[in-house]
Amino acid sequence: MNDLPNRARSISSLRDFLELLEDSGQAITWSDPVMPEPGVRNIAVAASRDANGAPAIVFDNITGYPGKRLAVGVHGSWDNIALLLGRPKGTTIRELFFEIAGRWGDQEAQISYVPEAQAPVHECRLEQDINLYDILPVYRINEYDGGFYIGKASVASRDPLDPDNFGKQNVGIYRLQIQGPDSFTLMTIPAHDMGRQILAAEREKVPLKIAVMLGNHPGLAVFAATPIGYEESEYSYASAMMGAPIRLTKSGNGIDILADSEIVIEAELQLGERELEGPFGEFPGSYSGVRKAPIFKVTAVSHRRDPIFENIYIGRGWTEHDTLIGLHTSAPIYAQLRQSFPEVTAVNALYQHGLTGIISVKNRMAGFAKTVALRALSTPHGVMYLKNLIMVDADVDPFDLNQVMWALSTRTRADDVIVLPNMPAVPIDPSAVVPGKGHRLIIDATSYLPPDPVGEAHLVTPPTGDEIDALSKRIREMQLGALS
Amino acid sequence: MTTTVCGRCKSSGAVTDYQGRQDGAVVWTILRCATCNFSWRDSEPARAIDPAARSADFAVDAGDLQRYPKILQQ
Repeated sequence: MNDLPNRARSISSLRDFLELLEDSGQAITWSDPVMPEPGVRNIAVAASRDANGAPAIVFDNITGYPGKRLAVGVHGSWDNIALLLGRPKGTTIRELFFEIAGRWGDQEAQISYVPEAQAPVHECRLEQDINLYDILPVYRINEYDGGFYIGKASVASRDPLDPDNFGKQNVGIYRLQIQGPDSFTLMTIPAHDMGRQILAAEREKVPLKIAVMLGNHPGLAVFAATPIGYEESEYSYASAMMGAPIRLTKSGNGIDILADSEIVIEAELQLGERELEGPFGEFPGSYSGVRKAPIFKVTAVSHRRDPIFENIYIGRGWTEHDTLIGLHTSAPIYAQLRQSFPEVTAVNALYQHGLTGIISVKNRMAGFAKTVALRALSTPHGVMYLKNLIMVDADVDPFDLNQVMWALSTRTRADDVIVLPNMPAVPIDPSAVVPGKGHRLIIDATSYLPPDPVGEAHLVTPPTGDEIDALSKRIREMQLGALS
Repeated sequence: MTTTVCGRCKSSGAVTDYQGRQDGAVVWTILRCATCNFSWRDSEPARAIDPAARSADFAVDAGDLQRYPKILQQ
């Protein structure tokens, strides 16, 4: 395991990654019989209590689904994310953040095409009598979900008005509710690429075909979930961020898909039709409502032999959703802020997809942190998601909540709190005034600069650095040694 | 005996979408309400699928389906 970076770059599929996780003690197989409900949910939730070290769990004995396999928690801990990034278990969240931030714009995309006949994803193919329940060992993710959800689908589509443009292909993570044997509804909003494509297809009355990829290269889920420019390919971006090649092939309906995915469901939008879907236990930890959502008809399914259905537990945090997208929610905000303000030293937007964010910044002048906060609200992610912002000094690690609380306790004046009323809000934020509209909060917990009369306090400076790190490690070893 | 009454909107006439088997025997059945699209497995705990045991907070009003918003409108 001395060559973790190379091993991470050689991953081309979920299976490769599960093997790496297993070799590192980060994947286990659950072979005891388990009922789909509530057994799978209970085990997934119990695992996700350990945000640092939870293993992925592969179920291979779910009652009523003989021979089928389900994986949850693949991205469910920081240790699993560390291994994906070629770093050892125990790497701190702060180090992982800078690992991702440092890759920004650093690498070229490496995309190769595999002929369809040789692509593992097409080993088995179904074009008629399709029953999704016969392929996917689904279960109710949260108790009052409206149905059986596919929670970790990477959905690929071409722009219905510009279908030959590679860059305008969209790959995004959407959640799907199965609606009978060969149909599903897909939840999206007009601000998402998929929402735009659905609206365009219905307006122009042209077909919209999609390919739903399940059990994918683990880098795609991490890097395809974040908003990038509409005309940037998520495949190219994921390849560049992983510093590794991505193998594509064609789906039966002509869309570029990952060649090594476990399962691909090909489907077509039923133009203008809406079906009741929801609720679903969402990332804020509350249920969405019941709504009428676009519906897709399945036209074919391809899968590998003995496919692994990968799913996710989402609900009241901490969950796999937070480790899956947290760092890569934070890194683009950091990069975008630094274009204007190089004084920004780190961004923590791990909490509920950035509904609360903590930004470290070196004050250029008195009150500067507030200016930076306002800029953060105008980044692509900030427009909808950054609801509560806590600004801390550059000497405070935003990933260490004990340090953040110190800053709040000692550096915040009650009149350093700004409320911006009636701003855009994520529709599923349960605190919104009405869905889609709510208030923003900025707390300036940075120190004081002239002309402020108080100035910086005379701070205690505890010893830090390599020597202290080494002592800390030695104490831990002595502690462990005392047990043996 | 599997009921075809929806635990969420209390309509009858749910359709069977799938049956899970173990050693050849049916161990559970997945049903779908033709009115509100609620899908369930008849082996689930009663508080999720039995209208008498299920929280009213998560009921759907079968007589007023117009109240549920339609997403993505031109």
